[in-house]
Amino acid sequence: MTLSEKIYQSAGITLPAISTLFALIVAYYIDPYLAFVSTSWVIFGLLGMSLDIVWGRGGLLSLGQTAFYGMGGYFGSIVAINFSATTGNSIIWALPAGAIFGALLAVILGYIIFYARMGALQSTILTYTFTLLLWSVAQPFKLKVGEASIVGDSGLSNIPGIIIGFGEEAESLAPNQALMAVIIIASILYFVTRRLMSSHFGRIIDCIRIDHEKAELLGYDVRKYQLLNFTYAGAIAGLAGTLYALWSNFLSPSIFSIQEAFLPPIYVLVGGLGTLAGPFVGALTIGILSFVLGGTAGGQTTLILGATLILLVLFLKNGILGSLDLLWKRFLPDPNAAARNTNPVKIDGDTLKEILKEAEQQAGPAKSLSTNDLFKKFGGVIPVNKVNRSFIPGKPYSLIGANGAGKSSFLKTCVGMYKPESGSVHLSDLDITHSAVFERVKNGMGVKNQKPQIFGDVSVLDNLWVAAYSRTKQNQQALAVSHKILNMLGLEEQSNVAASALSHGQQQWLDIGMVLCLAPRVIFLDEPAAGMTKEETRELSSLIRILALHTTVVIVEHDMDFVRTLEGDVTVLHQGKVFAEGDIQSLRKDERVLDVYLGRRKHV
Amino acid sequence: MEFDYLLTVLLSSLSSASILLIAAMGLAVVFGLMGVINLAHSEFLMIGAYTALTLTKLGVPYLLSIPLAVAFTMLMGAIVEVLIIRRLYGRLFDTMLATWGLSMFFMQLVVVLFGTSTASVATIPSFSINIGEYSLDGYRLLMIAIAALMFLFVYTLMTKTVYGMKARASIQQPQMAQAIGIDSNKVNTLTFAIGCGMAGFAGAILLPLVPATPTMGLAFAVKSFLAVVVAGPVALTGTVLTTLGLGGGASITASFLSSVIGEVFFFLITALLLWLYPFGVSVKWRRKL
Repeated sequence: MTLSEKIYQSAGITLPAISTLFALIVAYYIDPYLAFVSTSWVIFGLLGMSLDIVWGRGGLLSLGQTAFYGMGGYFGSIVAINFSATTGNSIIWALPAGAIFGALLAVILGYIIFYARMGALQSTILTYTFTLLLWSVAQPFKLKVGEASIVGDSGLSNIPGIIIGFGEEAESLAPNQALMAVIIIASILYFVTRRLMSSHFGRIIDCIRIDHEKAELLGYDVRKYQLLNFTYAGAIAGLAGTLYALWSNFLSPSIFSIQEAFLPPIYVLVGGLGTLAGPFVGALTIGILSFVLGGTAGGQTTLILGATLILLVLFLKNGILGSLDLLWKRFLPDPNAAARNTNPVKIDGDTLKEILKEAEQQAGPAKSLSTNDLFKKFGGVIPVNKVNRSFIPGKPYSLIGANGAGKSSFLKTCVGMYKPESGSVHLSDLDITHSAVFERVKNGMGVKNQKPQIFGDVSVLDNLWVAAYSRTKQNQQALAVSHKILNMLGLEEQSNVAASALSHGQQQWLDIGMVLCLAPRVIFLDEPAAGMTKEETRELSSLIRILALHTTVVIVEHDMDFVRTLEGDVTVLHQGKVFAEGDIQSLRKDERVLDVYLGRRKHV
Repeated sequence: MEFDYLLTVLLSSLSSASILLIAAMGLAVVFGLMGVINLAHSEFLMIGAYTALTLTKLGVPYLLSIPLAVAFTMLMGAIVEVLIIRRLYGRLFDTMLATWGLSMFFMQLVVVLFGTSTASVATIPSFSINIGEYSLDGYRLLMIAIAALMFLFVYTLMTKTVYGMKARASIQQPQMAQAIGIDSNKVNTLTFAIGCGMAGFAGAILLPLVPATPTMGLAFAVKSFLAVVVAGPVALTGTVLTTLGLGGGASITASFLSSVIGEVFFFLITALLLWLYPFGVSVKWRRKL
């Protein structure tokens, strides 16, 4: 590994650490007025980071961060006004209060957004609505809490400054010291957040952002993770709002205004989405820009900010840090180079059996799956029409039928991606008709959809790890499982390659590997052989036959040659109904099956 | 007397909702036909108002200034589409941010050009209608008819004309539309320009009711924007329903309680509807637009 690579690897820690030190030194020496103004830039950076957690990592463009920021600020200030006299110190009261209040609001709003499974646009709009609601409510709002009095448009004043010392003599910090304190607080929060985002939690959040449907198919309760992430960001925003209140000694409803709501997205975009450190760079850049222009261009900052935003979106999509990152990467060896020399997949029966036995020990014996009068319709189309089928371990089951026969719809209804109108689905004795997808997966269902679903930006090993971790909830065990599957797929050399760099066939294998990591008790595979070579199809066939000895396997397939090699039970679906079943030999002799499958007139 | 009061409240609320509908319709067209949320929509409305205002000051009759304002905002819309929107197709949130930048830009530009003061048109004869002891502004009531006509016009334009079919084809299946020889870029430019022209029309026609100020659009922006998003995929018809429901409801609430409670009502119902219909109320409708 070259020096450049080493530095690159740790850039998220070393560069911010160096910047913090540098900023502290500058903060000590600069002009007090400049120190006062630039304190707000650091606070805005913190607000921007709270959005970056939700947007860059969680994938939701929230326009509600300023709402948490403002409400956190108000609440923290009320607490500070009433309690700081008792200790002399303001921040030990205000900061936690602001953070908790911000988090509390975020839980409520986030619960509505995530548990209703709202669309992306609708989620963004709801956060925006929330902010604007506060804006209109705050203007006439009057309240007196102890010493603190909120007077509508005139806001809340007499907020104590940033006081760090204790006792009677403790006083607000001078501008330079206040700036230093804020820099230290912001940098602690940055490192904590970075730590969180590179932990298991952060990795799962990244996967949910890339493909939340797949994350749920791996058994993660996506809503819970998104809500936690949103809440954490709400706490950061609330804390930032409190810092802002202590800095300005005054708050007014304008903190909830439309103009304010769009500032965090600007900071994030300028700095670089998803970088966590970017919003600080963005806030600093915009701050300096406004400061300089404020002197020369009069009040035209808005004009320039507006134009900047347009240009940013059009031309500098990755922001400052994102662009630097791309530039740096050009001079590093290609991390995906290994994707070019791959070994063919070789399913080693003994290893596979070992893996499956181990899975059986951990996840229990195979389960059966049965449907009872399962019925699903879309408008006038009925893709699943009162299907009664049960699947048990022993031999693989294939579902065949012409296009539109309802194969994939049946599978999706069993898995819970479609909600049936009537009928039931049982996993062994458990009624799962109304369970969420992730609950079914937790109970032992594993699904591979038609298109390979992999987390493209995540490394091959991490793809497998995320799947394994969902079941084991234990890092070491998850690593062990994913390494075993990795070896079986012949992808050891590609373990650090981004999954999107793999070929289509390999992505199929990786997806199958992820399903195996779950050690499912019932496996659904939708056209697993699509896009595979003859050799790969042969390997797949042997994999499925071994799998079927240990678990229940249901396959949707078009490729009749492939179905024949499975030597299993075959169900022919036609117009949403079970048309015929049996082994492939007897079906091949059945005139009716030939009719519907080949499209001869009589039975169509 | 009680009946007169109720009728008055009902009519004035209906006209408030109609005003909101007039402001929101262009937004709905652009969202429904292009999948673009234009946050600068309200600034086009403001530009329309200022155009009409400037023209009437120059001696142009008010009624003539309305089509001129539409033409000007359409032209501006076409330019914006070619310079910005076109480059961001399929990037919903980037388009939102860029158009928001645009809205700040326009707002400040108008402040620079015209200042922040308010000017009104004096050339419109005001008239009122009496219901019992209550009196209602006639021009406000007229907006109900204007909104209905505007809706009929747009609906017919988009569903019955060749252009409308091309526009809907271009958004539903862009590649297929191009494959059968539709220049979807041109169609989209025109659609966006029409949306902006409708905003311009709204600004001009509402001028006697809403004086031109640089921030005049904001009040409409938020509500019309919410109404369109809550409406969902069947944008135009859905928006009629949501503006009447949300706007009318908020206005009735405001008449009986207070204007702040009216606002709160609007936002809370929006949140509730989004909870019930996470992808908009019209998700399962089988209508064209």
